This record gives sequence, structure tokens and C-alpha cells, in this order.
Amino acid sequence: MIETFGFFATSWIDPYLLMLTAIGTLAGIYVGAIPGLSVTMATSILISFTFKWEVNAALALIAGVFVGGVYGGARSAILLNIPGAPSAIATAIDGYPLAKKGKAGEAIGLSTVMSVIGGLIGVLALALAAPLISEIALKFTSRDYMLLGIIGILLVGTLSGESFAKGAFAGALGVMIGMIGLDPMTAETRFTYGSINLMGGVPYVVAMIGFFGVAEALVQLEQVDKTPVKQAVSKIVPAWYDVKRYIKIGLRASGIGTLIGALPGTGGDIAALLAYDDAKRSTPKPETPFGEGAKEGLIAPETANNAAVGGAFIPMLTLGIPGDAVTAIIIGALFIHGLKPGPLLLSDTPHLFWFLVGNLTLANLFLLVFGLTGIRIFTKIVECPRAILIPLIVIFSAVGAYAIQNNPVHIYWTLAFGVIGYLLKKYGFQVGPIILGVILGPMIDANYRRAMIGAREDLGQFALDFLTHPISLILSTALFIMLLSQTHALRWLSRAARCVAR
Amino acid sequence: MKTPSGLRPGELIFALMLLAFSLVALREAYAISGFSGLTTGGVLPMLASGIMVVSGLAILRDVLRRCLLGGEVSLSTIGAFLLPMRLLLFGALLLLYALAIPRIGFIAASGGFLFLSILYLWRRGFVWSAGISLVAILAVYVLFRLVFQVVLPMGSVWS
Repeated sequence: MIETFGFFATSWIDPYLLMLTAIGTLAGIYVGAIPGLSVTMATSILISFTFKWEVNAALALIAGVFVGGVYGGARSAILLNIPGAPSAIATAIDGYPLAKKGKAGEAIGLSTVMSVIGGLIGVLALALAAPLISEIALKFTSRDYMLLGIIGILLVGTLSGESFAKGAFAGALGVMIGMIGLDPMTAETRFTYGSINLMGGVPYVVAMIGFFGVAEALVQLEQVDKTPVKQAVSKIVPAWYDVKRYIKIGLRASGIGTLIGALPGTGGDIAALLAYDDAKRSTPKPETPFGEGAKEGLIAPETANNAAVGGAFIPMLTLGIPGDAVTAIIIGALFIHGLKPGPLLLSDTPHLFWFLVGNLTLANLFLLVFGLTGIRIFTKIVECPRAILIPLIVIFSAVGAYAIQNNPVHIYWTLAFGVIGYLLKKYGFQVGPIILGVILGPMIDANYRRAMIGAREDLGQFALDFLTHPISLILSTALFIMLLSQTHALRWLSRAARCVAR
Repeated sequence: MKTPSGLRPGELIFALMLLAFSLVALREAYAISGFSGLTTGGVLPMLASGIMVVSGLAILRDVLRRCLLGGEVSLSTIGAFLLPMRLLLFGALLLLYALAIPRIGFIAASGGFLFLSILYLWRRGFVWSAGISLVAILAVYVLFRLVFQVVLPMGSVWS
């Protein structure tokens, strides 16, 4: 117990880690708030510079950026009516009307306090649920990991995109990118075409920076001329009465956020929208109608998206399956540092798990401090024109891709992935499943082959194993239901059943 | 920008290209180890590219269905949607930047790229663009070279 507390408090007592968490949270608020910059983009670039650091230092900075970034989107949503991040889309619906009524300060104050409450509840859920899930996950076999990997990619594909086909295509494309290089089991080359540069495979971070950084910069080019209209800000610290009054709705939203965040493939954006919808349903008579500045409509999504941060870490740390795009990047960072997220992470490296829990808690406290201060400088910085930001994103992406292995070829790859990502985005594809495919593809490959070797390369036995082992049965049923519900198979089956009945 | 059927300009061509790419990927995946075993290195690539082909077909079917509703658009509309002039020029700058890095080095190439793109995108004149580029590139140098200690590419011209 004392040892656990020591791990938890590592970043609280080490001045260097304390400083990195503070810097990360503050930087995250700006990254989240500046339209054109995203947390996924920033974390993917950050990983390329911090991979040589000691793991705790790298995680302190990245976790701070994550927590700050999810919150930061709300500020620009309230002040400029431009959600800085997808998770703040729901926040703008009532946040901006509140600001137009001259209550921008009040809205920022309330959203900050409720974000911190949501964030802390998410972290508490992580601390309580992760050890339990890890224990169950210890019983997982290679087959189960293969199934989990497939479910993870498909969930991201189906929940975040326009159609199941587009999500599946993007996920499979990511798996193909992940297969490039030497086969780790046989040292056979795959898709290398004799190029030495391709033998080592495509580093996750290069793909991430290209698909999230460069592609987003190219998409943002369309909005270079947009100039935001900002609102005046007065009193920021919210009244205790208001916090007490809305705490119930905040707690409900925290529950929704944690749960949605913990589901692989769903992140703060979906959590926020669901919490907004729930607040709307559960508040039949709001003081101000929803959409016109209802405080409930501001609080619910803001609490939920921050609660989703802690939730997203649960499947990532216990099963090795990222909860959302940012945790997909953090999982890449853990791999780079030689750590293996999964059920053994808690038993093999408990210090890392409790460090993360402590660090996320600390980042939430910093969020409270930075969220309620520095609003004047904030409004000046957020106004930074996209015409300056976009070329800067390209430079950061280029140097980030290069820094991983000091290989200039990676700069070209990043730029090429950026162009591919731009085209895919323009046609309604999400790039999240691609990244998940790149990360989880090799894991699925290795576990599939292990499971098949375990079944002595007998296809019948391999298939039977899915039905005779309880965990595999649950997971394959979940996958089957997912496929049925997302494709037209269910409709075809019911039509066929009706024909047979006739 | 979407047509009345909800179709984006050039979506049909894009869907066809995706399908063609998926078929090539499937052929390449098959070339790794064919059907020689169930645990060979080519099994997952074949499965993944197979999924790409099937989902590519589903995407194409959906696009074709919507094409019948609203019809495809002209080549110029596709150009305006996918490659507006601003993106074309920025893309050209990106290409120049990529070609310049190995020759004049990262800092000089990045400085030039920053200056030209800010000059083009911001339109506040030479002095403003030069000033901002200079400050930004100095910050990049201090942050990456001095703080993160990244050995940035020097460029063949200087060596």
C-alpha cells in the first residue's frame, strides 16, 4: 500500500516531473484550444522527441497534454464558437450562446471546474477497474488477443466514420502498412521491394504524424481566411452555488464519459455528444432552453469528455487495446520505451500504472489552476492565424518524423502519408482506424499465428477453439454481433428467414 | 461540397482507384507466400487486402447507387473540390521543401518554406512574413536542436 502510494506520488514530489506535467497541461490547453491544432497531432509529434527520455518524464508531458487538450477545446468553443477539438463540438452548442449573453467568464469557469471533476472521476475509475480487468485479462490466450485487436480496429472504424465499409477499409489499410518490413517470425520480407529503408518497417510515429499532422494541415488550408469573432470575458471563478446545483448532472455525465471512454474505439467526442443528449433528456425544464445557453448543455459534454480520458486508459493499459486515437498514440510511446501494455503491465510494472494514475490526477489539478487563470493571454494566442499555423505544423511534422531514427526518408514518408490522409479525409474516411491498424496489425498477426500453431495448423480445431473456450466465445460472439449489426447481414438473414417461413 | 445525392465530386473515380489499389495489394500479399501454409507471413496481409477489396466493392456499390440519384460532376468541379489553387501551390511548396532539405539542410529549407508559405497564405507583405519566419525558425532551432538535441540534416551544399 505504502509502495503503491509512493508510485502514485512520484510526479507530485519530483520537481522535474511536476514541472513537465504543468508544462504539458498548459501546452495542452492551447493545443486543444487553437483551431487547427489537435491533441492527437501534438502527442504524435511529441513522442518523436521524447522517446529518448526516461519513460516517466515522457509520460508526464504526454499525459498533461492529453488532459489539457481535451479541456482546451471548450475555451475556443465558448469564446469563438469554433470547437478547438472534436470533443468540444457539443460544448459550443450552449457555450457560445452563453458567451454572447456576456457570460463567457462564467461559462469558462463552470466548464473548468466540471471538467476537473469529470477528469478526477475518470482517473478514479481507472484506478479501481484496471486491476480487476487485468486479472481477468491474464486468462486471455493468443486467440483472445487476436479477437480483441480485430474488435478494436473495427470499433474505431464503425463508431467514428461515415460507414462501416469505410472504417473497415481504413483499418485493413493500416494493417497492411503495419505488415511492411521483415516478418518477425520468419525474417521473410513483406512489401519491401528490395528497399533497405522499408526492411525495418514503417515506424508508428511516422504514420501518425503524416495522417494526423500533415493531413490535418492540408484540410485546414480551406479555412485559412476564416477570422473568428471573440467574446468579452469577465468573472471566471464560478459561484459555489452553481457548482453545487449542477453537480448531479456532472456526476451522470462523468459516468457516461468514463464508460464510453473505456470502450475501445470511442473517445471524448462521442462521450460528450451522448452526455449532451442525456442532459437534454433528463432536464425537461431547463432555466434557459438547450441551444440558447443552457448551463446543463455546457456542463454535461465538458464533464464527460474529461472523464473519458481516464476511461480510455483502462483498455489501453489492461488489454493493450487503445480506447481512442490519443491512447493509440500513447500505446505507441509505451512500446517505444520497451513496455508492453496488457494484463502483465500491472503485475510487471506496477510503478508505471500507479505513476500514470497519479500523474493524471496531478494534471487535472493543474487544469483547475490554468483553467481559471491567464484568460487574457489565452485570447491573444488563440487568435494566431491559420496562415502561420499551417506551415509551422508541416515543419514540426517534418522534424518529428526525422527525429525518430535521424532518417531523412521518414520526412518523405510523413509527407506522403499526409497527402494520402488528406484524400481519404476529403472522401469521408477516418484516419484513426489506419493508425490503430498500423499498431494492432503486427499484434494480430503474431497472435493469430501462435493460436494457429497451438491448433496444430488444423483449421477445424482452430475454429472449434473459439467456441470451446469461454473468453474466446464471448469475444467472438461480440465480434459476430458487431459485424451483423454494422453490415446488411442482419437484414438479409431476416429476409431469408421470412422466405423460409413462407 | 456535395452533389444533391450526397456524392462528393470525384467520389466515383476515387472509389474505383481504391478498388484497383486493393486488388494490387491482394496480388502482392499473395506473392509473399501464396497458400503454402496457415501460419506463413502472407496470411494476414492476404486477409487484410481481402477485406480492402470487399469493403472497396461495398464503397463502390454505395457510390454507384448515389451516382444514379444525382449524377457525377465535371472534371473542373472535381479539381476545385480536391485540388483548389491554394492547395496546389502549397503542395508545390511542400515538394520544393522536401527536395531542398537534403541539399541546403533542414533549417535553411524550413526557413524558406515558412517564409514563402506565410507570404502566400497570410498576404501581409514581405517584412511581416520574413520577421515571423525568422522568429519561428529560431524557436524551432532552439527547441529541437538545443533542447531536444535532435541532429538536424545539414545539407550537402554546406559539407
